[in-house]
Amino acid sequence: MRLKRTGFGWLLLSPTLLLLGLFGVFPFLYVVWVSFHEWNPFAANPEKVFNWANNYRALVFDRGFLASLGVTLAFVFFAVSSQVILGYLLAQAFMRDFPGKAFFRTIHTLPLIMAPIIVGSVWKLMTTPSIGIIPYLLRNTVGFDLNIGTSALAAFVITVIMDVWHWTPLVTLSLIAALVSLPPDPFEQAQIDGADRWQIFRHITLPMIAPALIATVFIRLMDAMRTVDEVLMLTGGGPGSATRFLGVHIFKEVFPRTNYGYGSAVSVIVLYLTIVVCWLLYVGLIAPRTTRR
Amino acid sequence: MSEERKPGFLPIETNWFDRLFIAVVLWVALSLFWLRFLEPLGLSVWIAAAISVVLGVWIVRRG
Repeated sequence: MRLKRTGFGWLLLSPTLLLLGLFGVFPFLYVVWVSFHEWNPFAANPEKVFNWANNYRALVFDRGFLASLGVTLAFVFFAVSSQVILGYLLAQAFMRDFPGKAFFRTIHTLPLIMAPIIVGSVWKLMTTPSIGIIPYLLRNTVGFDLNIGTSALAAFVITVIMDVWHWTPLVTLSLIAALVSLPPDPFEQAQIDGADRWQIFRHITLPMIAPALIATVFIRLMDAMRTVDEVLMLTGGGPGSATRFLGVHIFKEVFPRTNYGYGSAVSVIVLYLTIVVCWLLYVGLIAPRTTRR
Repeated sequence: MSEERKPGFLPIETNWFDRLFIAVVLWVALSLFWLRFLEPLGLSVWIAAAISVVLGVWIVRRG
């Protein structure tokens, strides 16, 4: 059906377009504009000075930025893939009946309602060597001394675990919603045809929950790429630059160093990378292919 | 928006806006690559911009 083109439709859309333009498009264009300037409002010259692509020129040679790009991509890969796998297993578990199911399904979403800054504080308390429960238990059970202040690997792993703990319930909830909406017929037919559990998962469940799964992966991927507050509270980006993710890198450029132009350039590149990664996933997994005649 | 056209060289179904998006993504990627590896050899980044515009027009028209 072809919709009539009337001004009334645009009138109905105008509040949304206005808000989107004011709070989405304008700030984005402003950041892009600032990224082409040398701007430190607290320096001797607080004016913006147009410097062409000098911020981007500095960025591609900045070892700090390239290191934080590497750790961010590693963090995103480990955190999001763990969340998807664990989230799916939990969703399948919550599809079965067991005593206390409603209770467990409710409390497993509690991390979701905690502010990231609180999550970071709580995990810092739990992992501080002298007072934390995790180093205490690891030392007394397996004899491992956990110190996220000195071990780069331990800090990175704990950061991933914290993110998985915080955000797996979101994946679980999305996948529960997808799983409960699946029709039972294809599963019964597959069982009659003698399909095993892996075949049912691979050829029926996975294709049918793919849209929900991919939407969830996109949300988590975008969130993980710009994670700041949890990590800033837990490790402050250290030790060294082990957990200095791109969001933390931008924070340190913009706030302590007040280097707004360079910080904006890094922000634009983070947005660019996020869009490219999501787009590549979309092309690789769900984009309709051209049919050649 | 729907459009009737012969399939282009891209392996996925696209409209003109998708192809413009791909062109911009490639422009940024080529510019960053150029700034990092080719500009230090004396090649101006404007060459990358010119290549990107030609590439972009080709992708939007034939992709």
